[in-house]
Amino acid sequence: MILPNQMGTTRPRRVIVATVAWTVGILFALPLVWMLASSFRTSGDIFSSVYPFNPNILIPRTFTLENYSKLLTGQFGLSVFNSIVVTSITVVVGLFLSAMAAFALAQLKFRGAGIVFAVIVLSFLIPFDAIAVPLANLFRDWGLANSYLGLILPGIANGFAIFVLRQFFLAIPAELAEAARMDGLSWWGIFWQIYLPLSKPALIGAGFTLFLFQWSAYLWPLLIATRPSVMLGPIALTNLATAQEVNFGAIFAGAVLLTIVPLVLLLIFQRHFTASLASTGSKG
Amino acid sequence: MTLLHHKVDREAGAQPASRRRRRGSGVWKVALVFLAPTLLLLLVLRVIPITEAIVASFQRSPSRVAPPRWVGFENYEALLSNGDFAQVLGVTGLFILIIIPFQVISAIFLALLLNERFPGLGIVRAFIFVPVAAPAAVATVVWGVAFQPQGPINAVLEAVGIPGQPFLTSPDQALLAIIILMSWIGVGYWTLFLVAGLQDIPHELYEAASIDGAGWWRSFFSITLPNLRRTLAFIIVADTVASLIAFVPVALLTRGGPADSTRLIMYDAYNNTFVLGDPHLGQAEVTILILVLVAITALQFRLLGREKES
Repeated sequence: MILPNQMGTTRPRRVIVATVAWTVGILFALPLVWMLASSFRTSGDIFSSVYPFNPNILIPRTFTLENYSKLLTGQFGLSVFNSIVVTSITVVVGLFLSAMAAFALAQLKFRGAGIVFAVIVLSFLIPFDAIAVPLANLFRDWGLANSYLGLILPGIANGFAIFVLRQFFLAIPAELAEAARMDGLSWWGIFWQIYLPLSKPALIGAGFTLFLFQWSAYLWPLLIATRPSVMLGPIALTNLATAQEVNFGAIFAGAVLLTIVPLVLLLIFQRHFTASLASTGSKG
Repeated sequence: MTLLHHKVDREAGAQPASRRRRRGSGVWKVALVFLAPTLLLLLVLRVIPITEAIVASFQRSPSRVAPPRWVGFENYEALLSNGDFAQVLGVTGLFILIIIPFQVISAIFLALLLNERFPGLGIVRAFIFVPVAAPAAVATVVWGVAFQPQGPINAVLEAVGIPGQPFLTSPDQALLAIIILMSWIGVGYWTLFLVAGLQDIPHELYEAASIDGAGWWRSFFSITLPNLRRTLAFIIVADTVASLIAFVPVALLTRGGPADSTRLIMYDAYNNTFVLGDPHLGQAEVTILILVLVAITALQFRLLGREKES
């Protein structure tokens, strides 16, 4: 049975739908393909292959890994390493703290839980970047500038992560915790041995949210961590782009390196991520 | 078995009242332990900096080294009487008015496409979602090169006989160029929500519509859109919040120019505070931005919590 929500009802219409979809998909992918192709070119080839228009725009005439080898041995390599360290710690600690808060707000029936929940989620839904300007001076006063700790702290509290985890915890029958309590398990044990193992999909979704925030953060690291030893990937990338002598090959290689990590994670966890997004209230 | 047993046990409990009270206060303490780190972060990352911004916005330092003194609404008056801030609000408003409908309508279109069946659906879906992974700095740098006068976009335009465009160097096009590069990341992200929303619409509704003889447009307007209402409301609000804090493309590509045509509020607050070195004016601007964001976020939170009502 063909339902009226289907556009491709006849053969010509199906051809049109497929053509439009493929065109749109290719348009979305083109910048990435161009970025990848250009990252293997010598610097001189990048612009000569682009303008005026010629087929070499996507097929490199030259092939070199020099852009990557130069990047990884220099400041950029260190910055990618810093990004990986900062983001990994953010995801692990952030998930742990968000899950603890979500557990208390979902399962511990204390008075005022609703208000505490609203205050916490509302506050952390205010985007951090707006707060980065006043907070940067405070962090400098507190001696947190140019430190991993200063970079990690803003990423570990996330309104979405807490919300998604709480939604998931609410769906776990309270009788489970009740029974475990009677059997002498502590609240900590219930959290650690029952709730966390049951919540893998929500943890992946929330973890991905934490990851994307920290991995692509720009304003905060720009304000707080400009010393080369703690500089993060996105800042190092834009430093390449605003340098005196711009090496376009290096810029494209750097862009590829900063995209590849989230891309692989997104493709692996796409379904979990989508499911957790869907649970953030879009479901009716 | 054990569950039933416990229930009976509790109902027959000797001192239900005192026991409940003891458990009640115990739960409070446990909750506090679980919530303590988050509450501490709330204090450090939200309460203190927002208070700091508000306090600083009512102060001014006579010189860089002198301690600040209270000046009431002087900073706000300076901001509002200054034509620059009107320009910032105008640019930010225009930006929101274009980018939100553009991204939302594109996302609806893409979600509907991805709801069809055609060869290579999985690949097309991956292509559309992949830019979501690109950090804003990456999108900015790559599109920044693409928008250059002798870049690939102009090369393609000229190859089909359209004269090359100035893009980022033109006051008429710079904001649109930024909207395009931000939408390359953003649209795929919002499409994710809508694809999930579409899948949640019960098939029976369409079957019934089919029996009534409804066509695609009819069922789109009377079934699909009404059922996506909640998702759409959420996307519009979340997209507005994300767009209000747009910073990277402006900071890297245009620095508010040309002719102030891309002076978005987040960049301007940063610029006032750290580049022009007027933190008090900057904090007044941040306070205004935070006030707007709190209002929108409250709306977003209500949308998040909606499903309980239904």
